[in-house]
Amino acid sequence: MSSPRVGRRVASPRVVLAGVIGAGALGSGVALTATSGWLIVRASERPVILTLLTAIVAVRTFGMARPVLRYRERLRSHDAALDDLARARTDVYAALVPLTPARLPRRGRAASLRGVVDDVTDRVEAQVRVTVPVLAVTLTGAGALVLCTLVEPAAGIVVAGLLATVAAVTMVAWRVEARSQVELGTAREELTRVTELVASQVDELQAIGATAAALARVDEAHAAVAASTRRQAVGRALAAAALPLATALATVACAVVARRGGHSDPVTALLVLAPFALAEVFGSLPDVARSWARAQASATRLDFLLDAEPAVVDHPQPLSGRLRPRRPGGTPHLELRGVSATWDGTRTHLPTTDLDLPAGTVQAVVGPSGCGKSTLLAVLARQLDPSDGRFLVDGVDVRDLPAATVRDLVAVVDDEPHVFATTLRENLRLARPGADDRAVGQALDDAGLGEWFASLPNGLDTVLGSGGQGVSGGERARLSIARALLSGRPVVLLDEPVAHLDHPTAVAVLRDLVRSRGGRTVVVVSHRPEGLTDADGIMDLTSPEVGLVGQVG
Amino acid sequence: MRPFDPQVLRTLPEARRPLATLGAVGVAQGIATVATAFALSAVVVAAVRGVPLGAPAAYLLGLFVVRGLLALTGERVAASAGAAVSAGARSRLLRHWAAAPAERRPDPATALVLADQGATSIEPYVARFLPALVTACVVPPLAVVVLAVVDWRSALVVVLTLPLLPVFAALIGATTRDATQQRWKALASLSGHFLDVVRGLPTLAAYGRAERQTAVIGEVSQRHRRTTMATLRLAFLSSAALELLATICVAIVAVIVGLRLSHGGLELGTALVAILLAPEAYWPVRRVGAEFHSAADGAAALAEVTARLGDGAQERQDHGVLVHTVPKAARVEVHGLGYTHPGATHPVLDDLDLAAGVGLTVVTGPSGVGKSTLLALVAGLRTPSRGTVTAPATHLVTQRPFLTTESIRSNLTLGGDSSTPGESLWAALREVGLEGPVAALPAGLDTPLGDDGRGLSAGQRARLVLARATLSRATVVLLDEPTAHLDEATAALTHEVIATLAERRCVIVVTHRPELVALADQHVHLQPVGVTA
Repeated sequence: MSSPRVGRRVASPRVVLAGVIGAGALGSGVALTATSGWLIVRASERPVILTLLTAIVAVRTFGMARPVLRYRERLRSHDAALDDLARARTDVYAALVPLTPARLPRRGRAASLRGVVDDVTDRVEAQVRVTVPVLAVTLTGAGALVLCTLVEPAAGIVVAGLLATVAAVTMVAWRVEARSQVELGTAREELTRVTELVASQVDELQAIGATAAALARVDEAHAAVAASTRRQAVGRALAAAALPLATALATVACAVVARRGGHSDPVTALLVLAPFALAEVFGSLPDVARSWARAQASATRLDFLLDAEPAVVDHPQPLSGRLRPRRPGGTPHLELRGVSATWDGTRTHLPTTDLDLPAGTVQAVVGPSGCGKSTLLAVLARQLDPSDGRFLVDGVDVRDLPAATVRDLVAVVDDEPHVFATTLRENLRLARPGADDRAVGQALDDAGLGEWFASLPNGLDTVLGSGGQGVSGGERARLSIARALLSGRPVVLLDEPVAHLDHPTAVAVLRDLVRSRGGRTVVVVSHRPEGLTDADGIMDLTSPEVGLVGQVG
Repeated sequence: MRPFDPQVLRTLPEARRPLATLGAVGVAQGIATVATAFALSAVVVAAVRGVPLGAPAAYLLGLFVVRGLLALTGERVAASAGAAVSAGARSRLLRHWAAAPAERRPDPATALVLADQGATSIEPYVARFLPALVTACVVPPLAVVVLAVVDWRSALVVVLTLPLLPVFAALIGATTRDATQQRWKALASLSGHFLDVVRGLPTLAAYGRAERQTAVIGEVSQRHRRTTMATLRLAFLSSAALELLATICVAIVAVIVGLRLSHGGLELGTALVAILLAPEAYWPVRRVGAEFHSAADGAAALAEVTARLGDGAQERQDHGVLVHTVPKAARVEVHGLGYTHPGATHPVLDDLDLAAGVGLTVVTGPSGVGKSTLLALVAGLRTPSRGTVTAPATHLVTQRPFLTTESIRSNLTLGGDSSTPGESLWAALREVGLEGPVAALPAGLDTPLGDDGRGLSAGQRARLVLARATLSRATVVLLDEPTAHLDEATAALTHEVIATLAERRCVIVVTHRPELVALADQHVHLQPVGVTA
């Protein structure tokens, strides 16, 4: 699959137009300063006032045109960028869907998804922050160059030199910025990590007398950020220092050539003032260099993520003769026969495993991290296809079925359940859009959230998530289970559903689930077998003979 | 909101030097800017009048060298001042909370937002906005004063027109305030939508709802675009209006200067200085307004940090109960201890007496009776509502094992001595039966743990934090349900470790396990408040 190069298009026609209008605004500014100089000098020659009128009109026009054109440019460029942002978001999201969840980073998934959002914004904003100003500055510089050359070729050469210097300085600033971008990003990540540690776990740190140690880590992280920030500032500082110097040299050079050219006094003034007028135009370039470096880093990260291949080869139409598993609507019989699997082909993440799950089984899978528990669930949920062996649903090999056929049978309760910033009702109904309030309330009860639900003043209309009602870790896990129950899907897979809960809550959550499962098949993956004493079988993936299902009394 | 609150200098002393440097560079840059008008007009006059260019050119070049150096310094000072003030604010805030008992801290989510994004947003405020503010305070008055000396008539025009800018800005602000505020609210929820959906993508994908959201994202993003543009149109329009006003003001100066020139009432040099200086009186005011837009978050965060650091000191004595800390003594004494959770009406603990020395003290009692609260009070995490607690610095192992996303080694030495030799760490691991599992890990002691200790089983996590307790130097060790989620064999092993620990130290354990109660030197059974034994 080819991934969309998000926001790679450097300049859409709308952005080019915004750049041209921006050049008009900048040009008006330059012209304003230059013609004002001409006018003053001409006035000092005491001409008849009427002869000044043309210049006065010109000055007035430039003075009015600058704010008006700048306003138009900003409106257009921002509108174009926001439109592109809307598209880029849709594209990135659509590209992420087939990669979810198998191809998302398995560690710190929430943080990396948050990063995607920022990266898309940075990449698209580059149009407003980089393309438009660069275009505007280039066109203005070119215009000034042409005009100066027409008036005095030697002055044209001076202006060309000035432009070349400015371009070189901007490039250097960009290189410095780009180099420190990664370093600064890493330093900031570490700072966020230790800040989070201290800000949200003070109790725990105080309990073991580790506040001083943690604060020392904050200080270290601060020092690292400060050092990177200073290094990054070198780029901007160099540009900020070099630009006025180049302007001064160009001004003096223009003064020399203007005098040699034997022009009239007002024209001489105009030529001398030209570099100074242009200097104002260059002021935005250090910021441009920074935004450019940032956008590039973002684009690299996005491309890396989106270039992954989906983990499941999908057949939109079933290939085998049998179109559907045997009992539509009922709980299917799931069977793994000698299945092994790998996420990336570098090593086997799930060693050869046999597992028989007749309808209605409660199966626990335990074992330490890295033994393949989550991989096993991914295969059962058909987020990942086996690299060897067969996964049968009611006797049909899943590879002969459309991915959606298997996925629609399975409700996954993962280890980082997300609560959306919407009402409680909508948070649950995403699992079954048509569900009525009674069904939603029943699912909440079954998941052990009855009391919590009763305590909410706005009931199902309570807004959860960011900016809404706070939800504890236990409630979050239970909400996710309520979703799974509401979905009516016959197979529920739980990946470390209680990893973040304390012991009594963990036991209660799992016990409630097993009790209210109805005819469903439930597979729970856990570090710890607590609360799973009701399971029909416990598979320990650490044991050498994987697949031996021990019956628990 | 005030653009700059001098209170900051008192609460964040480390901000004084960077801010003073920032101000000094800003003032110097302002002077250099004003001087440029003279140098430039001297060069123009020299070029026009045909006098030797040498002196004015050297003046101009010298001045621009100075300006270049100032700009170089300014950028660097601004960047490090931003980092320094932001770091100072964050570090003081975290230290403030780290020293405060639980009752006087904000909830973790609020704390995190302020300490993380809040403190970070101070950086652009200091690095971008404050320099603009300094310029706005220095350059216009300086330009007006110099102009008054050079050509008082032009100065008069500037003085009369300059106040129009803030008045005009206030007028625009007042008429658009309500609309803008409404839009910002709408914007906040619209712009949060994409993040929410992307973070929930695994959940949406699991229920086959992911594809459907694609259209929703497009639609919400377009709505976001329209709302943003409505807000921006207003902002851009008012900034364009201000610019136009400033341009007209400069034009008035220029017209008057031009007329006087053409009547011979003014020198060319003076006239040039006047029209070069006049804009300097206007643009810094506009720029500071524009920068404030992007720095408002930082200013608000800084104000909140200052406020949070300012209070607390006077609250300290509210309860009138002191926690005496006697260093070293392995002894805990509790007299008439009472505790009421903030906001609750009934005490969870009341009139409790307890004395414990070296040995194992076991605390039992029904759920919710305040066993964990008792440990928190002894550890000094909470302030008693009544009574006294006398205890040295303790090591409390909470119910949920606390592990960071660092290596096993740093987790073991957290709160202790980070230079503890490897043999001691292995010995501690051996004691709790974790030597084998840790040795089997790819990087041994240096294996990093996931969030919440992911990578270890619950039992392993519980034993790892117990190993940390045995490594700590605290003479009093408090354990909250250390073996609740361990199987029988592991629990028995852990109980032995606890008993060994109690040979040398004062160990207080909250537990439901009868086997552990059997090992105790002292058994305290807590009754709910109001129930007499």
